[in-house]
This record gives sequence, C-alpha cells and structure tokens, in this order.
Amino acid sequence: MAIFRRIANLMHRSNVDREIDAELESHIAMRIDENIARGMSPDEARRDALVRFGNTTATREHVVAADAMLGIESFWADVRYAWRQLIKSPGFTVTVAITLALGIGANTAIFSSMDAVVLRPLAVPAMDRVVTVFERQDRSGDRSVALANYFDWSRQTRSFEELAVRTGADMSLTGAGDAAHVHAEMTSADFFSVLRIQPVLGRLFVADECRPGRDSVALLNYGFWQRRFAGNPHIVGQKIELDQRTYTVIGVLPKSVQYPSEADIFLPLAPSPQQIADRSDHDYLVNGRLRDGVTVNQAQAELRTIAEHLATTYPSTNLGWTVRIEPLLDGINGDLTPLYYRLVMGATLFVLLIVCANVANLQFARGIERRPEIAMRTALGASRTRLLRQLLTENLLLGLIGAVGGLIFGALYLRLTLVLMPERVARHMSGWSNISLNGRVFAFSLLLALLAGLISGFAPALEALRLNLSDQLKAGSRGTTASARSHRLRSIFAIAQVSLAVALVIGAALMSKGMRAQLHVADGYEPQKILTFGITLPASRYDTPQKQAAWYDDSLAKLRALPGVTHANVTTALPYSDYAWNREFQIENRPAAPGKDQSALDLPVSADYFSAFHIGIVAGRKFETGDSAQSTPVAIVSRRFAVRYFPTQNPLGHRIRMGGRDSREPWVTIVGISDEAKYTLWDQNEYAAVYLDAAQVPPAGATYAVATKGDPLALAGSARRALASIDPGLPLDTLETYRQLLNENLVGLMFAAGMIALDALVALFLAAIGIFGVMANLVGERTREIGVRLAMGARREDVLGMILRRASRLTAIGLGTGLVLAFCLARLVANLLRGVRPDDPVVFIGIAVAIAAIALASSWVPARRASRVDPMQALRSE
Amino acid sequence: MAKTDLQGTLDLLVLKTLAQNGALHGYGIVQHIQSASGELLRVEEGSLYPALHRMEQNGWIAAEWSMTETNRRAKYYKLTAQGRRQLQQAEDSFDQLVKGVRAVLRYA
Repeated sequence: MAIFRRIANLMHRSNVDREIDAELESHIAMRIDENIARGMSPDEARRDALVRFGNTTATREHVVAADAMLGIESFWADVRYAWRQLIKSPGFTVTVAITLALGIGANTAIFSSMDAVVLRPLAVPAMDRVVTVFERQDRSGDRSVALANYFDWSRQTRSFEELAVRTGADMSLTGAGDAAHVHAEMTSADFFSVLRIQPVLGRLFVADECRPGRDSVALLNYGFWQRRFAGNPHIVGQKIELDQRTYTVIGVLPKSVQYPSEADIFLPLAPSPQQIADRSDHDYLVNGRLRDGVTVNQAQAELRTIAEHLATTYPSTNLGWTVRIEPLLDGINGDLTPLYYRLVMGATLFVLLIVCANVANLQFARGIERRPEIAMRTALGASRTRLLRQLLTENLLLGLIGAVGGLIFGALYLRLTLVLMPERVARHMSGWSNISLNGRVFAFSLLLALLAGLISGFAPALEALRLNLSDQLKAGSRGTTASARSHRLRSIFAIAQVSLAVALVIGAALMSKGMRAQLHVADGYEPQKILTFGITLPASRYDTPQKQAAWYDDSLAKLRALPGVTHANVTTALPYSDYAWNREFQIENRPAAPGKDQSALDLPVSADYFSAFHIGIVAGRKFETGDSAQSTPVAIVSRRFAVRYFPTQNPLGHRIRMGGRDSREPWVTIVGISDEAKYTLWDQNEYAAVYLDAAQVPPAGATYAVATKGDPLALAGSARRALASIDPGLPLDTLETYRQLLNENLVGLMFAAGMIALDALVALFLAAIGIFGVMANLVGERTREIGVRLAMGARREDVLGMILRRASRLTAIGLGTGLVLAFCLARLVANLLRGVRPDDPVVFIGIAVAIAAIALASSWVPARRASRVDPMQALRSE
Repeated sequence: MAKTDLQGTLDLLVLKTLAQNGALHGYGIVQHIQSASGELLRVEEGSLYPALHRMEQNGWIAAEWSMTETNRRAKYYKLTAQGRRQLQQAEDSFDQLVKGVRAVLRYA
C-alpha cells in the first residue's frame, strides 16, 4: 500500500535517502562504464557522467519530495483546505456539527453507562473465569447453597482455583452517629482472592479470622465508607458496633469492585460446627474462580457428579439436588438491565443513522452549490480520487468536530441521568458508581465520528463528482440544478429518516404504554396514600418473640392513634414489591416427597392487613385479636396454596411449619383461605402464599404500611416521633410512599423508556428537518420553472398542491416502510418486555397520523413559498 | 485543455518504454528513449528520478532491486496494471494534443 510506504518513508528518512543515493550512484556508475567502453579515460568518463546527470543533491531532494509530498503533507493540506471550506460556510458547518454532536453525544453517554454497568461492572481481572454456583431441585429454579455441600465441593473439586462462600444479613450499626440499618456480607477469606481484590486501605481477612470468636473484624464497602464515614482516611483501627457486638475496621474495599453491590460491610464468615454440617439450610452463595482451561460446563459437570454422590450418601437432604454454574457477569445485573441497555443502545444508534441521513442530505445540497469549485479543480488537473479524498477529509473533519461536541454533550447527558436516577440505584447495580467518560468511551466516540463522517459523506461526495465538466464550466457561476439522480438519492435519505423515526416513535410509545400499565398495577391499593418504611429489630434487645410481638403491638397502636391515619399494618413484603421470601415448608403427618419442591411465600402480617389491602377471605376466618402469643398459632393460606398442596382435602385445620425438615419454627394451624394477591412485579412464577399472624410469629424485620387520608409524607415526622417514644434506638429505613417504592422497582424500565422516548423525539425532529430540507431545496431549484408555470396561467393552489403532493409521496413511502419496521421492532420489544402489546392499533394509527401531520407541516413553509413566487422576478433573476 | 504538460510527456515516455521493454532501470530508460527517438529526445537525467518516484507513489510502476548484466546493483522499474491504464489515457490525450497543435499550425 502506497500510503503505508509513504508513512514508513517519513519515519525512516535516512533509509530512504540511502536508497535514493544508491540508485543515483548506480545510474552514474553505468554511465561511467559506458563512457569507458567508448574509450574515455576514467576521469573524463566520470566528469561527463556527472555533467550529464546534473546536481545530484538537488535531484535527491526532488525525489524525496516526490515520495513524501503525496503522503502526509497532502493529507495536512487536505485538512487545512477542508477547514477553510468549512469556515467559509459557517451555517452549514454549525448545523452539521450540532446534529452530529447530538447523535454522537447520545451514543457516547449511553455507551459509557452501558460499559460501566453491563460490560465491565467490576474491575475483576480475568472476570470470565469467575462464576456463581447455585443449587437447584426439581422445578425450584436457582437456590442458594447448603454449607455442608459447599465444603464437600471445595474439598473434592479439581475445576476451581478457589471456591468462596458468603451469606448476607441485615444488621443495625450503632456507636457511630445515628443508628442505621446496614447490609452485612459474611464471607470466607478467599472471597476476595476469587475476585482478586486489593483493599484501598488496610488489609483483608486472613483465614484464621474465619473462626468463631476471632471474627470481630470488618471491611467497609467503598460506597458505604464514603456515605457513612465521609471517606475518613483514618478509619482503619476504629471500632464499630453491629447488633451490639464490637468490630474493628481493618480495611476499605476499592470503588472499582463493589460486589455484591448491596453490601455495606463485610465480616468474616465464621460458621459453627452445626452450621458446617448443615445440608438443609440453603442460605449461602458460592463464587469461584475456574482454573485456566476449564470451561463453565466442565466445572458444572464435575460439581454435578459430586452432587450425585452426595445425594446417594445423604438422600434425606440431598435427593434431587443438582448444581448450576453461571458466569459472574450474568448474575450481576440480572436479565433486565442488560436488555434495557441493549434496547436503548440500539435505539440510540438508530438516531445516529438518522443524523447521518440528515447530514448526507445537507451535503447533497451543498454539493450542488460547490459544483463550480469542483469543476474548477478538475479542470486544473485534480484527479477524481484526489477530489474524493478531499471531500471525505472534509466529512471526517466534520465528524471529529461532532465528536468533540458529542463528548461535551455526552458528559452533560450523563450528569443529567446520574442526577435524575435515584441514589439507591447504585445499590442494585454494581457498576453504577463507575460510570465515567474513560478511554474506551473516547475510542467509541472517535469510531462513531469516523463512521458517521464516512456514511454521511460518501454518497454526496460521489454525487458531487458526477458532473459534466464542460457543461459546468459553460454554466459558469449561474445557479445550477441537481441531477435527477441526486434528487432521487436525497428523497431516499428523507424517506429513510421518516421511516426510522416512525419505527422509533412507535417503539417508544409501546414501551411507555407498557410501563404505564406496570406503574398502575397497584392502583387498587391507593399507593399514593400509604406511607411505608422498614424496621429491623436488633436480635440483642428483641431476643424473644414476646418482645418482638410487643413492639409490633405498641408501634401499630401508636401509629393508628396519629391524626388522619386510617390503617396501620406490618408485613414482610408489600404487594408488587418483589420482596417476599419463598420458603420451604412442612405439612404435618405428610413427609415431603424427596426431590419435590414444596414452598410458599412466608408472609407474617398484622391482623388488619387483609382489610387494608382488600384481600378477601374465601373460607375460614381472618386473624383476630384473640390470636396472640399465648393462643394456638394460626395461618391463612392463599387459594393457590390450597389447590396446589391440598387438591383433594380441605386445608382448614391442617398444621404446617415454615422452613426445612429440621426447622425449629412453630407448627401453625390453617384457619383460613384468602384470595390471591401478587407480590412480584417482574417474576412470572406463580407462588403460593402463607400468611402468619405477626402477633404470634413476629418477624425480625418488617415493612410498615400506614394509610392516611392526606399526604402520607406529611405524616413522616410524627410517625418517627411516635416510634421513637417506644424505642429511640431503632432506625427507620427508606421512609417513602408506597407509590415511590413501586416506582423504584420500575426505575430500570422508566430509564429505558425515557431514553428511547428521548431518542424518538430527536428522531422525529430530525425527520421533520429532513423533509423540510428536501422540499425547501426543491422549491429553491424550481423557482424559475414555477415562475414559468405561473406566468402561463397556473393557479397558486396548483403550485401549492404540486409541492405538497410531492411531500406527501415522500412521507407516505416513509410511513409505509416505517410501519413495517415498527411492527418488527414491536414484536421484538414485546417478546422482551412484559406489558408491551405488539399489535396496539391505537398506537400504530395514532402515531402514523401524527407523523404524517408533522411531515406535511414541515413542508408547508416551502410549499407556501413556492406558491408566492413572483413570476416576473423568478424569470428575471436567471 | 486536457491534462497534458511537459511532465505529462515525460510520464508518457517512461510508461511506454516500460510497456515495450518490461523491467528497466533508470539508466536503461534514458538509453531507450534516446535510441528509440533516433537521438531526437534527450531525457534530463536529473529530472527522471523524481518522476519515477512520483509514478511509483501513484502506483503506476513498481520497483525492485536487482543485478545488471554488468553485475551492478540497480533499481528496476516495471509497469503495473494501473500504470497500463494510465498509459492508455496519456496516449489518448497526447494524440489530442498533437492533433490540436497541428490544426492550429495549419490554420491559414
């Protein structure tokens, strides 16, 4: 390749010089040889040769210049020339730069956020080697791991370098400011080496600290250290108190690896001998690092073999249990977040395509204006490739200007999303706090800029070069018109813009509609009138069910006494909160069939809960005030529970117990059957539910739901004071309305829908500009013809109609292809997102009509201008 | 006027020479043009090499180092496919030039 050789020449200038010298010397030597052969003396021969050749130094310089000039030098010349051209038409340049900046900026912002959240949420070296291990049984789906099984695996496996285990717990932090509810993660010491984490301060756990009695050390997650301790650099060595036990902070974990993202504090996992031997309590999460060369499937096959052995050795606990392994990355964000990001990224790239079409359209128009210039340069000897290179250089320069603008725009855009998203998002997304404009993002925008420059510039540049030289020069500086081909191309670009915009707007509208449906699922509960907050009762002070039950009694009584309160209840999970715990349970006198999943949502609630949430009792009775810690514990089961587990019997009067085979929880008697209520928003599984009476089986932590007549948030202060009068040391978590809580669960969808709606708006705007541009240009070129028509007696309405008919044709074709595209897109989105109907006629028709109206409106101005052409002036101006 | 100047003429001569003779070094090209034109045309030897290098950069000719019959190392040039097309064009426009100039001279 010539260009590489030229660049290489510049780099190895001395090499080139040497080569040229050698060539010139060999020429002179040959001349000398021949002169001698003709009978000259050697001296004479040499002199003659040099004279004939002329100045060798000057020749060498000329040769070097010939080598280099065409390369880099001419590239810079092109850049300088392009810059001058752009400066000469500032209107065009600014328009294109802003359009490109918009397209590139949006993509830059989405990519940087996607890069941080989905592609590289954790700065873990060789992340593809790190996996999560689950157990599963029957149709249970992925479950956490029993500790004894974990120890057997890690003793027997050959597939893993390291296999770490952890479990989470909610604790209350005291002794440093206000009491706070924190999430602690108890991990084995090798958890950090699986992730290859180095602390930013202090040190990590050592294996010796993972034993009971030696485990009073704590590591802080970066975000928590910032929030709670304001990034105090002297935190190492300080004491903190968790659930009334003192721990020494020994280190802080890095910002770049905040996994699991909800963890605030890490403590050593120091299991007791009973816990180590436990095979029924599936409560632990296992992460491991695969050995080099071992695939996920191989490791899974190996652990499955081990699990089969365990099932034969311990059939009562392990029968039917097998293992599933997935890469860590898959589990970090769940299924939805990467999906949303892909959707948004796709839509935003669509917008960039529309931007390119728009810029191409502007370039076409400009190409026509530039014909005299191009004709002149051709006449002066510039070759086609030379001119093409020149025009493309101009486009690349525009793309780069757009990229600079795009980075600025992208930074603003990112700041905006970071501000608009609730702070708690960081707790659900490991990579959220790492979003930044980094090297990869720069590279990405640069790539987009080059692509956008090429895509938008290639067709117009080729078109600009298709000119008939002599015609052009004859026409001179007079106004010139574009060829039919150029018109066709421009029309195609305008149609493409309209159809892309149609597809995007319909996609966005369908998504928003689906999202609205989700937002309103819980409307029956009047969530805007309900105040919610969480309470966790510390085990040290509330160490008996009596004390816990007394707290709930007292606190609910205080809350109900507040003015304006209609109901006050506790539950472990509110409907649609995705917070309920699906647990195994036992039925008295009916041994669970080994290998069969027998589970239901475990929902301790206060007695008034059913009437507050309009959950009907279809058989038996409600919880009553007579149900207390002293009376027989009772339960109400959902209708689905009754059908699934008592298909042929009446469940009333039977006794069940939550937990595994060795559970020490009390047996409860089923006294009622309730209507279904839905506790999950995204999870499609249909869970059975068991409601327990919080007065009899009080939970260690619960969510309060306080229904009011007025604004629930106005009640927050008095609710806080009321509870502090019972126990001032209890923190209230996330005090908000039920509506806010529901909305937070939809934050991902709202983000995706919002971004796509924004993309759709930009697309619509650009499409309108596109149509306007094409029509305005058409009218401008045909002014003379229109003048003639008017002079010949055409009516102004005819001219208006002629222009509008043409715009309608463009719009109609654009709409047609756009609707087909939108239909495919809608099918795709509907497959991916629940609540989205792909065949919503209202949306399709409504948006098609709206876009047609916008397109026609944007061609109205040029059409009107055409109808007002003054025939005399139009004819005279030529 | 089409793109034909003195430099263009040198290019044409070099391309034609290489088309007729296959690979040649610079000195050989000079010799051939001189003898083929019946000693009428004498190539300015100092201006030949910049032209050769420019044509090489344009991809019309390719070069490689080789040994002459007299055992000297020399840089041999030969025509590329692109150069062949260029030659065709240059010949055509040269014909045009000659016709045009002749017509002007004969104009009475």
